[in-house]
Formats: sequence, structure tokens, C-alpha cells
Amino acid sequence: MKQNNQNESGSVNKKNAFGRFLDFIGSENLSLIIALVLLIFLITVVSGWVGLAGGNKFFTWQNLLNSLAQAIVISGLLALGETVVALGGFMDISIGSIASCGSVAAAGALVGSGAIGSLHIFPQNNVFFSILAGVVIGLIAGLINGMIVTKLHVNAVVATLGTQAAFAGAAFMLAPDGKPIGVVTQQNFTWLAQGRLFQNANVPALNGSKWTGIPVLTIILLVAVIIMHVVMRYTSFGRAVYAIGGNTTAARLAGINVNSMRVRMFMISGGVAGLAGVLLASRTTSGNPINGQGLEMQAMTAVFLGGTSTSGGKGTVFGTFLAVIIVGVLNNGMNLLGFNTFVQKVALGMLLVIAVAISQYRVLHAETVRKSSKK
Amino acid sequence: MERKEDNLSSGINPPGTLEIRHISKAFPNVQALDDVSLDIRAGEVLAFVGENGAGKSTLLKIINGDYQPDSGTMSIDGEQLSFPNPYIAHKAGIRVIYQEPEIISGVDVAENIWVGELPMKNGFLDRKTLYATVRKSLQEYGFDGILQPEMMGDQLSAAQRQLVEIMRALKSGVRVLALDEPTSSLSDDEVERLFKLVRQLRSQGLAIIYVSHRLAEILTLCDRIAVLRDGRLITVKPAAELDDHEIVHLMVGRELKDIFNRTHIVSDREVLRVENVNSRWHHDVNFHINAGEVVGFSGLIGAGRSELAKVIFGDLKKESGNIYLDGTDISINSPDDAISKGIGLAPEDRKKEGLVLIRSVLENASLVIVKQLTKLGFVNRKREREIATQFVDKMNVKTPSLEQQIGKLSGGNQQKVVLARWLAAKPKVLILDEPTRGIDVGAKAEIYKLIDELAGEGLAIMFISSELPEIIGLSDRVYVMCNGRITGELAHNELTEEKLLELSMVDELAESAKIKNTTEKVNL
Repeated sequence: MKQNNQNESGSVNKKNAFGRFLDFIGSENLSLIIALVLLIFLITVVSGWVGLAGGNKFFTWQNLLNSLAQAIVISGLLALGETVVALGGFMDISIGSIASCGSVAAAGALVGSGAIGSLHIFPQNNVFFSILAGVVIGLIAGLINGMIVTKLHVNAVVATLGTQAAFAGAAFMLAPDGKPIGVVTQQNFTWLAQGRLFQNANVPALNGSKWTGIPVLTIILLVAVIIMHVVMRYTSFGRAVYAIGGNTTAARLAGINVNSMRVRMFMISGGVAGLAGVLLASRTTSGNPINGQGLEMQAMTAVFLGGTSTSGGKGTVFGTFLAVIIVGVLNNGMNLLGFNTFVQKVALGMLLVIAVAISQYRVLHAETVRKSSKK
Repeated sequence: MERKEDNLSSGINPPGTLEIRHISKAFPNVQALDDVSLDIRAGEVLAFVGENGAGKSTLLKIINGDYQPDSGTMSIDGEQLSFPNPYIAHKAGIRVIYQEPEIISGVDVAENIWVGELPMKNGFLDRKTLYATVRKSLQEYGFDGILQPEMMGDQLSAAQRQLVEIMRALKSGVRVLALDEPTSSLSDDEVERLFKLVRQLRSQGLAIIYVSHRLAEILTLCDRIAVLRDGRLITVKPAAELDDHEIVHLMVGRELKDIFNRTHIVSDREVLRVENVNSRWHHDVNFHINAGEVVGFSGLIGAGRSELAKVIFGDLKKESGNIYLDGTDISINSPDDAISKGIGLAPEDRKKEGLVLIRSVLENASLVIVKQLTKLGFVNRKREREIATQFVDKMNVKTPSLEQQIGKLSGGNQQKVVLARWLAAKPKVLILDEPTRGIDVGAKAEIYKLIDELAGEGLAIMFISSELPEIIGLSDRVYVMCNGRITGELAHNELTEEKLLELSMVDELAESAKIKNTTEKVNL
């Protein structure tokens, strides 16, 4: 048997380039890449066969950089936070409301308005402290969620359904008389959403459309993806989240402080949602209490489409990122092809159900395989 | 053996006898029943006795149609029977009454008994007729005092629930009735009534199976006793030819195999001492374990051994008492605490409590040590892999790679990974709760060898097992538990299966003696 072991591990080392690529993205994410390629093929080529116009605009810098790359950022960030909670076996449906709070808090801190501005703890007109205000509000909201779930033993879906309403209301309370806080004059702040990097890079035109630089927003998302990937894969916290999601009792009996980890999970999803709120304020040039409404829907779609098990313990940050792109491409493609937003909503809802159905099928299929192989 | 065959000449059986022939049933890794043949005669009460896992429940479940046998037949009066589900068995007049019968809670006793065939009048329930019928049959069996037709299902005690289930069976014309541990939740008075009912049913010509751990009850109530062991029928004897010590001997009577090799030497240095520990499950528990010592914990299921392990490990709360590690009084509030102080626990239920089945062998093997390998939040993955490889190899785990999902390995290999996890953590005290449950003989032998080696390296081992041969073969000393108390301590040279079983049934035997005394007095 030992001999056998060595042979097999030897063959692992000799993997070809494709094998190493698979290891990097995770073989379970290969189907997502195939789905993405198929979807792009549908939008750009098949749409033309059935007489829909607009598919040829997909591969232009204008579309890729201005529309797609910016559209996925907010839901992408929310999905990253949600992934952590989902891997730990829970769900946080309050992230949209937390983003609203973060949005109002950031704008309030920036211009010294509303409840946060009146505290006078954050210096005005300072982008850094504005971001900080949004993120701290998110962390506090996450702490509240975590405490309700671990100390009061309320089911996470119910707990965050309650706080979803409460935080939505709190966002209005943070704003002066419930009204949006305008930040249009704060150019340093709006640069977060409107700025571009690498504008002068020498990149050839695509379908006649010129390179316009990478949006700062997109860079923020990419950095967040990398950080979250590292956290979940290389830190003891990430390992604990997977263990708790996979088997809470086993994790506890292996010395993992389950409740403390759960609180941290919710704080991460809250903090990231707060950051998403800050970027929403920058993008809409206003700290508006309705900014984050309903955004949890897209984020959760991406999490489950990305292969995270509904009961936790299985899934990757990279899978969520791929799913975020798929959802973004779907919306973007439907825009280009002239479908209205109602149709897009139906498509998104269907996608969520299909994504979960596929993951359930995988689980059931894996079990039947295991059973039949036993016989 | 010849006697056993004598019992099977179907010519002498009265009509209505359930004849079981050559029934076998295997589960993954275990032969639950091996060629069992016996007759359950009409007009007699037959007892099934045996240790935990001897095959009693499996046999009942086959009779009731919950399980299908791999081979073998059942028949009544020459008519072949096969039950794909309990419903078919009930229709054939065979019914097993389990410890916790299913009662519809929102419905009264009368409707519970007549469920499915309620008397109707003009499309409405004829409650008057229903109550009258039920009251009459309750009177007939002498239960009008404890069960009324109007009582609601959710207000019934365990005893009343059993009665409802029995009445259901009687109403549908039962021929073979099996009672599984029927008295475990009954008061003395209720037991008397139940016995009266059973005797009455026997005289009406029913074949009755009576499964119980309570030997005294069996000896007073049953006509014949069938002893099962390791899935085989050992003997069927008239109750009059047996006494309780003989039954115990028949239940265990096994040969020790020489797969136990004790080479380790016990040191004088005490590592773990537990003093006067009380908890929801325990009463005044005292014991100690030395370095290099394997201390067995024996007892019946439910004696409180697994709970004791979890109390020491900080996963369950103790109400009072002290735990000393290397002579220092330590307080442990969580498994995390216990691990950092040098205590490890491989829990009883590997799949539910031990492993994260959907994660890899590597992650499961390193689950405990990840914390020690973390600096500034980051896990030293290279070191993790080295250590995991070292212990996975040491345990001889058969897996294609460390990335293999652990749920896909065999039970034995899964258990070895659990042990590898604890070896990597290098504890001072290792608690092993049923470490060989459900794994094959080869893997068992490897685990026995490992336990001996670990003790040889100076580890103090608390070894909980329900299998008497391995307790006797491996332990330097054994504590026996019964109902949350330690009822005895035996040194290695004092260990016999009879002694262990008697100590683990101290309460049951005392009760049996009490009943014997009272019956003798009555006879005088």
C-alpha cells in the first residue's frame, strides 16, 4: 500500500499545465468557466442567429470596462462576504440593508451631516475616514447579527430577516430627516467610483472601441477577491469556517471556538457590506438610505451559483467570483440585447433556483455513487 | 447443539407458530444475524436475551418488516411469509411493539386504536359506538383503570402509549406479538398489570416474544429463553432450566483471541485524577489513570461512560468535583481548554462528532493542530502537510491522497485519521470512546496494537468500550459503570466477562433479587 501511495503522489507532481491550472481554479469551478463561455457565446453569436441585435457590442472596451466591470463590483463585494457566512453554514440576508447604512454613514462622515456627522468623531472631507465610517458601521451590524445568532440562538435566516428590516430603518435614522446626503462636490470621494487607472496603457482598440483604463471600483473588487481567497485558504480562521460548516460538532470537539468564529463570520460579511455601501454612495454621489435595498438577492445568487453548499463546508471564493461574473454577463447581455429589467429579474430568480438545484443534484449524485461503490 | 435442532421439529409445534429458518442479515462491516432458526410457538412467551449488538433488534426488525433478511424464510402453519414493510407484517398478524410507540398526539385514545377503520354514521364519526367498543375491550383486558377512551394522545405516559399500541394490535387480530424492552419506563404496579395481560394473551393462544435486559422479569414471565450472541442463536432453553448467572454466562461465553498484545509498562506517575464528580448524568465519580496505563471503562449503553468522557473534555458541564492533571487542580470549560491542557477525545460517533466528512483527509488529520501551526493568523501549510503525512503513514491509513474526501474512505480508515489527528496533537491523556465500533477485524487489530504502543510511549489512555473481549484484552485496569456510578474497579488479572457484566448490571441484579425475595415471601 505504501508503494501505491508513493506512485500516486508521484503522479501528482508530474501534472501537466492543464492539471496545474485546474488545481489553481479548483476542478469544481471548471463547470462555471464552461458556463461563462457558453453564456458569452449565446450573447455574442447565437443572439444574431435568432435575429436579436446588439450582441456584437459585447466585446468592446466601452462595454467591458464601462458597463460590465463596474456593474459587478457592488454585488461582487456583497457576495464575497456572504460566501464566508455561507461556508460556515449560515445565511446573512441583511447585507443589503447594511450596505444602505454604510452608504449613509460614509456620506454623513464626509460632509458632517446626519447622525454620524453630528458625532464629530470623523474629520470631515477626509475620504479615508469616510470609508472607515462605512466599514465600522458594517462591522457593528455584523457583530449584532453574530450575537443574535450565537447568544440568543436564533436561526440565522430569521435573525438576519429581522435585522434586514431593522438596519433598513436604521439607515434612514442615520440620514438627516431620512433624506439622502449629497456628496457630488466631493471629488476625492467620487473618484472611488469614477476614477480610472492605467488610462495611458498602450492597449489596442477592440472592435473600434478605445481603451479607457481600468475602473478603480474594479481594482477594489479584485483586491477584495484576492484577500478573501487568502483568508479562506491560508488562515486558521478560514479553515475553522470550513470545518464548522462541514460538521459543527466535530469542529467544537477539535477545540475550535465555534461561537467566536461565527461572530467573526458575520462581522466580515457586515464589514464588507459596509464597504460596498461606501462605494454605492460614491457611485450614486449620494448617501441614500435606499441604496442597498434588495442587493442581497444578487449576492446570494452568486454564492450558491458559485458552488457553495447551502449547508456550508464546501465552496470557494474563486467560485463565487466566477458566478459574480456570470450574473454580471447575464444582466449585461440582456441589456445589450434589449430585454427590459423585468425579464432580467425573472432570469436572475430562475438562475438562483437552478444554481441550488444543480448543487443539490451534485450532493445526491455523490451519495448514490458512494452507496453503489460500497456494494 | 443437538438440543437446538430438537426445538425445530415443526411437527410438535401448535398451529399459529411462527417458524424462522436460516435467517441471515449483514450490514456493512458486520454480520448482524447469522443463520438463525427458531420457533415462536403459539401459547408461549419466548424471551430474547443478548448483549448490545447480539442481534436482538435486527431479528425484531426483520419480523416486523422493517428490514428484509439477506436469506432465510419465515412461515406460519406452512404459509411462507415475506414482509416488504411493517404494514404487510401487521396485516399478516405480526406486530412488534417498540419502546416508544407512535401515537397521534392530537387525537384521543379511542381514535388512536381504531385509526384507519373508524365507525361511521351518515358520513360522520360515530363517537358513541367507538367509545363503547373501546371501553368494553379495555375492561375485558383489565385496563379500564389506567386508560380511558377520551384521553388525548399527547397526555399519555409511556406505559399508556404501549397499551394503546397493544390494543391496536389486538383489535387487528394479532397472532405474533413482540414486546421490546416493554418495562423500561413502567412503574412496578404497571409492570404487574402488563404481566397479567401477557399471561392472558398467552392463554388465548398468542405467540409472544419478550425482549428485555431484566433477567428477573424474564425468569418469572417467560416459558423459554433464546440467547443470542454475535448474531448467532446460542441456545433455546426452557426458563425453568436456567438461572440469572447462567444466562449471563451464555450471553458472553466467548474465547479471547490473541490479537491483544500488552507490551506497555504502567508507570507509578499519576496523570489524571477525577474526584467526586457529579453531573446531570453522574453521581460521585472517582478514578485515576497513570502514565502508560490503559484504563478500560465498561458498562451497558446508557451507563454514562460517553458523557463522562465529555465532562472531562469540557464539552458537558459538571456540577461539582475536581479534575487533576499531573497533580494540579485544573478547570476545564470547553474542549479548547481541555486540548490546550493536554487532553484529547476521539468521540463515540465518528461520523456525527469526529469527522468533517465533506473535507479532505489532510484537513481532518490536522484539525486540532492547525491552531499550533498558525502564526499571525496564517497556517504553516508545509509543516501541516509534513505532520499529517507522518501520522497518516504511522496509522497506515489507506487513501489515494491526502486530498481525498474523507467520507469516501472505509470506516476503519476514517477512524485511523481521527486517531492520527490526536497523535499529532501529542496529548497527555487520550480518551478513546468506542474506537473500534463498526470497523473490520483487521483495522481493529491495528488499533489495538496502536493503543498498546501509545501507552508504551507514556500516554494515559481512557478506553471506553462495550465490547468485553477488547476491554479485557487491552486494559491494565477497568472501571465498570452502571446508571451514572462507578460500580467496580478490577485489575487486569481479575477481569472476566461475567464479573464485568454483573457489575454493569448491578442495579438490575439487585432488583431481580428483590423480586425473588418478595415472591418467596408470598409463596410462604
